[in-house]
Amino acid sequence: MAADTVLAPDTGYVAGQVVDPLSYAHRLMRVTVGLIGGVAAIIIGLMVLTEVNAGYRVALTVGGLVLLFLALDSAGKLVWGPLFETGLWMSVVWVAIVGLSAAFADFLPISEAKDASATIFDGTPTLKRPDLLSAHPLGTDRQALDVLGGIIYGARVSLQVSVLAVAIGIVVGGTIGVIAGFFKGRLDTGVGVLTDSMLAFPPLILLLALASVMDRSPRNMAIALAILGIPTYIRLARVNTMVFAEREFVLASRAMGSSRRRIIFKELVPNVALPIFSYAFIIIAVLIVAEASLSFLGLGIQRPDPTWGNMIAAGQDDFDRHPHLVFAPGIAMFLTVFALNRVGEKARELWDPRQTNL
Amino acid sequence: MLRTIGLKLVRLVPVLFIVSAATSLLIELVPGDPILVIIGAEGDFDDYERIEEELGLNRNVASRYIDWLGDIFTGDFGEQITRPGVKVSDRLKQTFPVTIQISLMGMAMALIISVPMGSWAAYRAGTRFDRYSSGAAFGIISIPSFLAGLLLIYVFVFHSTVPRYAVLILGMAWSLWLLWSAARAQREDAGGMLLRLAAAIVVAGLTVWLANKWPSFPRQGFVRWTSEDGRLENLRSALLPAITVGLTEIAVFMRLLRGDMQSTLQEDFILSARAKGMPPVRILARDALRPSSFSLITLAGVAFGRLIGGTVIVETIFRLPGMGSLIVNDGVNVGDFPVVQGGVLILATFYVVLNGAIDISYSYLDPRLRRGR
Repeated sequence: MAADTVLAPDTGYVAGQVVDPLSYAHRLMRVTVGLIGGVAAIIIGLMVLTEVNAGYRVALTVGGLVLLFLALDSAGKLVWGPLFETGLWMSVVWVAIVGLSAAFADFLPISEAKDASATIFDGTPTLKRPDLLSAHPLGTDRQALDVLGGIIYGARVSLQVSVLAVAIGIVVGGTIGVIAGFFKGRLDTGVGVLTDSMLAFPPLILLLALASVMDRSPRNMAIALAILGIPTYIRLARVNTMVFAEREFVLASRAMGSSRRRIIFKELVPNVALPIFSYAFIIIAVLIVAEASLSFLGLGIQRPDPTWGNMIAAGQDDFDRHPHLVFAPGIAMFLTVFALNRVGEKARELWDPRQTNL
Repeated sequence: MLRTIGLKLVRLVPVLFIVSAATSLLIELVPGDPILVIIGAEGDFDDYERIEEELGLNRNVASRYIDWLGDIFTGDFGEQITRPGVKVSDRLKQTFPVTIQISLMGMAMALIISVPMGSWAAYRAGTRFDRYSSGAAFGIISIPSFLAGLLLIYVFVFHSTVPRYAVLILGMAWSLWLLWSAARAQREDAGGMLLRLAAAIVVAGLTVWLANKWPSFPRQGFVRWTSEDGRLENLRSALLPAITVGLTEIAVFMRLLRGDMQSTLQEDFILSARAKGMPPVRILARDALRPSSFSLITLAGVAFGRLIGGTVIVETIFRLPGMGSLIVNDGVNVGDFPVVQGGVLILATFYVVLNGAIDISYSYLDPRLRRGR
């Protein structure tokens, strides 16, 4: 427990601060060995041992990645001090990579990933295995479409849909929540019954109905997902408004004769906005999963436009023989969701110290 | 107490009303047409009109909804439109057990794993166990359930030797570690040494037994609890879907309980229990768990409700005859009004009753919340 560790420097904890007991040179050597070993293992696993059983190659590559992470972790702690959060910064970098490649997908040198009629006759092999040094780093699918290209265009769809949905959700749900939390009474009860009903309603049926009525464009998917997110935002905004409305500064403003509108816009909204925005990253992650689940069930955006969900759905039929069709987009999605969760966690820690429960 | 339950039940009525009314409106929007399914490719326009007339589908949504509502009050769920003569209540009775079994197994598994892990992580906050388990939980939360299902199929169905050897290696390593710690035990601590020795033998034996008897899991399909193939077959076919469903919840519950437990452990009554010399396991299980479980139970209720409505993904991956696929495939996609209405009504009732029961259970969990009766 904390009290013991203060007196025991060799455990790595001194008065709440993490201190590495090893010397500077020792740590530097550890970083170097880890970096070289990790990169070597990854290169051997991915590019050299092309004839060996895929299981061993994957194991070697994963081992290399772990080693590389540990080395980067020590390197970061060496340079920026012991409180450096390697995982967080790697997440930021990954989100940036995904965001940038999605934004500039049209300018990247990726092979054809959408139009199957273009790949049929130009001799592109179908169901090619991933090979990082070839023109198809992550392989091709049944129609000889590039998997990496599909992942990048899929990232574009996912990000477009989820960011737009969060924006709509924050504006609509936040407004209703603040109003309900401020005026209370009957209005609040009504909003409560409404959010209860929305939460009790099977989300999939709502999405099914919306998806079949509307044209399945990213914009409409965003609207459908935003409707799902609205009750959550209403609850968040309502709770936060109620908490802030009891605070002294609101009372002071009221005592000075401010109108209700002024109290809402000048006192409450700026305070409520921050905790709500701090949830945005996490909700974007949730919506990416929701959008992918819909495409997986065939209810979202359809081929020829690749999304992570419809790529995985297309690959699942014989994925014991061609696992890359499922796991390449799957890993990309996992990493993105993980990174957004990690960043979102930090954002919440920074901007919402009370950790409001939903 | 009765008054609280009564209030909850009164609130159930408007929620169910809104949900079912919204459902009927939404089905109206879905383009699936049950009459086309009935007449098939052979029928012509006269058939279409005749059947529409017979089934009363030419009336507007509101009057059909009111008819349906009237039938529900007499306990009649109606018949499936696309398969005349098949009662919706029978279909619901067939599919509900599948969905409920998978959700229950998933929830039970999630709670059994997450409660001890979360409590221990809170007790040992900041240590290696805490950091690793929190990190693992973080990773698990980020795996979408359909990906988790496919991953489980890949490992447990297609490459079943991998988990078998993994069990063998991990079990043996654990047993060796126990042996090593037994050998290192203090001389005065003979009892502890014997205990560890016994544990090592038990673990080794279990490992060998498990690796030998490693079951093969089916890629798809479901064996019913009541079928003559026996309970074991049923569990075998339900295990992978249940893990898929419960995996995310394990991580969510663990993080939640760890947070709440950590603040409970700062309280005075824990200090006094510690001062009396209670062992940590007893403090965690008897004193700290109950006051820390509010958010956990709330979230478990919400999650359980979601699971029941959201098992359609798992049912699609493992091709199970559950309620999610009933509502989506036999209901929404073909515009079968009574199927969707009946299914959604059952799910929504379940969700609201469950969450109402959880609200009521708060006063049992924490006597401070009880009001004068």
